[in-house]
Amino acid sequence: MMTAELLIVLAQIWGGIGAIVAVSFLTIGIEWIDEDAQGAITFRPLLIPGIMVIWPLVLWRWWALATNQDRSTSPQAAPRRCHATVAIVLTIVISTTLLISASIKQTWPDHVPAILLEAGQ
Amino acid sequence: MSVKYIPVQWNRFKSFYDLVVLAMIMGFLWVFVHLVPGVLPHDPAINPQIHNMRAFGSCAFFLLTAILLIGPLARLNSRFLPLLYNRRHLGVLTCFVALTHATLVIRWYFVFSPTDRYVALLNTNTAYTQLLGFPFEAFGIFALLCLIILATTSHDFWLKFLTPPVWKSLHYLIYPAYAAVVAHIGLGAFQDQQNPTFGLWMVLCVSAVVLLHLAAARHERMISDPSALGPSDGPWQALFPADDIDEGRAKVARISNGERVAVFRNNGRLSAIANACAHQNGPLGEGQIIDCFVTCPWHGFQYDVTNGRSPEPFTERVATYNIRLRDGVVEVNERANPPGTPVEPLDIPVRRPGNEA
Amino acid sequence: MKRNAPFFVGYLPVPRDLRLVLAISAIAFVLAFVIAAWAVGISQDNPGDGRFRFDLGRQTVTGVLEMRPYPVLHVIEGSKAIETGETLMLSGGGKFGVAPRANQLDDMVVNAKGILLNRGTIRMLQIGNQRRDLTAGEGQPTVPEPVNLGRWRLAGEICDGKCLAGAMRPGRGIAHKACAELCIQGGVPPVFVTTQPVEGHEFMMLADADGGPIMEQLLEKVGIYVSLEGRVEQRGSIAVFIADPNSLAVLP
Repeated sequence: MMTAELLIVLAQIWGGIGAIVAVSFLTIGIEWIDEDAQGAITFRPLLIPGIMVIWPLVLWRWWALATNQDRSTSPQAAPRRCHATVAIVLTIVISTTLLISASIKQTWPDHVPAILLEAGQ
Repeated sequence: MSVKYIPVQWNRFKSFYDLVVLAMIMGFLWVFVHLVPGVLPHDPAINPQIHNMRAFGSCAFFLLTAILLIGPLARLNSRFLPLLYNRRHLGVLTCFVALTHATLVIRWYFVFSPTDRYVALLNTNTAYTQLLGFPFEAFGIFALLCLIILATTSHDFWLKFLTPPVWKSLHYLIYPAYAAVVAHIGLGAFQDQQNPTFGLWMVLCVSAVVLLHLAAARHERMISDPSALGPSDGPWQALFPADDIDEGRAKVARISNGERVAVFRNNGRLSAIANACAHQNGPLGEGQIIDCFVTCPWHGFQYDVTNGRSPEPFTERVATYNIRLRDGVVEVNERANPPGTPVEPLDIPVRRPGNEA
Repeated sequence: MKRNAPFFVGYLPVPRDLRLVLAISAIAFVLAFVIAAWAVGISQDNPGDGRFRFDLGRQTVTGVLEMRPYPVLHVIEGSKAIETGETLMLSGGGKFGVAPRANQLDDMVVNAKGILLNRGTIRMLQIGNQRRDLTAGEGQPTVPEPVNLGRWRLAGEICDGKCLAGAMRPGRGIAHKACAELCIQGGVPPVFVTTQPVEGHEFMMLADADGGPIMEQLLEKVGIYVSLEGRVEQRGSIAVFIADPNSLAVLP
């Protein structure tokens, strides 16, 4: 029981911190770091769930942009080039999964007889 | 793309796209939830709750499959690029369908009990060491979390905020999510079905995803952009003959530092910009010049080819490159200019009459 | 990008050459989804004929309560739908067993009110949630003598007796595994559905080796086809399979 409850509490803490980050980012932070967001209010509630889920990433980017340390990797190094690797790994993983699923699938064992090992009274 | 963010951007095509996606989802659910129960001969019928969780679950699986088919289709044939254009809306709707499936499951299998429903979900079956009877719910939870991350970070704000490489890396989560969904179904519902139909559909979907991805990877390798011919002198690298570039189009080359440069020909003059669009790092070199602006084939973001800047009021910028011609061959200075730096376009000496558009 | 291929820009009118491709893609996707829904929907397996017998109305019976391994009622005064002499498995509402309410009534005559669930020969009474639905009754509390039917090796599936009997359709198998485990942990009697009947019994209430409620080792294998060895006892009209968890083998 411990692990499940711990996981749920951790998720709640994660979401709670996320909510605080969301409120502060959407009220103060966003206007500092993105001029396109200045005066744009209606789209902000849409960001709340995202911030609650990936708030550490939000804090990191917020920090980087606010302190002008935005050394984002070269846009040319787009992950598009991992595509071939991803395709091969995906192929191996999902084919194996499917094969395993098919190989362990049981059929109703009605051919297995009930065996009397020792008579009763 | 707009100067001020708005909640959801729609245009004529996106509305059409969303209508088709809604038709797919509503069509699927209408048939499964409303038509099928009337035809099934079972007496008594399958519980509506279980029937519906199957409907939403299988719908989410087919939607995810469709999402994964679009990428390689568009790589293999540019005619399918429009399917890519609004894929994020499809993803968000898929997340809602999957969430509904999860809610139906939790509200049926994990309620009416002395245990809290979420504790019950995580704690009831913990036999992680066995394949048969594995807690396949865990795969479903993982996939759902991935879909939630993708859906909640789908707004264009996130692209700009996280930067395209980070955003794209994050959205690669779609692949582990799909693998987890296959495991979720394979070790779960698939084990129970005596009728092979659903299993066959699974094999069909998985094969389509696998084959198209492998085909696209192969295709990418075959048509991959050429490397620079070699260093010329100093930071200058020879790329390709200027004549190879069609009017209004570009040719792309990889230079020695791994970057890709797109050299465009606009009104007979050459300009070079970075190949990656500032929006999603789409391949600008596969785009066209429309009304004097380079237009990205993925989402139509535009840049002035002479300075790498989006037209007012947009603010996106890409790097420009200095180029020169030597014996008809384009040479590029491998040191990119800061994004948005104007560079005077290069005249191509007319060598053959009628060569210029 | 191929030369002269139509160039699509989302916010501009769709090039004429692309319209047909898009229309066909749209129709193909919608059609594929409709066909998939139909194919997957109508190929669902029959969930069996288990159901709540609301049609028979609320049952009121009197019987002798036996608590181990799980609560059963040996009926001494039946109703229209429940014969005198029948032995019924008992459960509470939802995934609750009836044990917490029934413990002090062990081996006593009780009056029980509830709804019958049945699937073939599997019958269970879901006792109502009110205090008056399970009360001490009057009469001679005679628990039928158990009859040893011998030691058997049986093949089949461990299920929770309530979902299997029709509380859920389908109420067995791997997709339903966690729900079944939750039911059994909640005190609902587990049953072993055998591939071949033993002395006419197609299912047996399942007990652990000590004759009490089943433990983790058996719980892990709920919903999986297994073979198990153990003593089968006839108690009233039902059989109880007192299984040895160490003999458990997963079947191919």
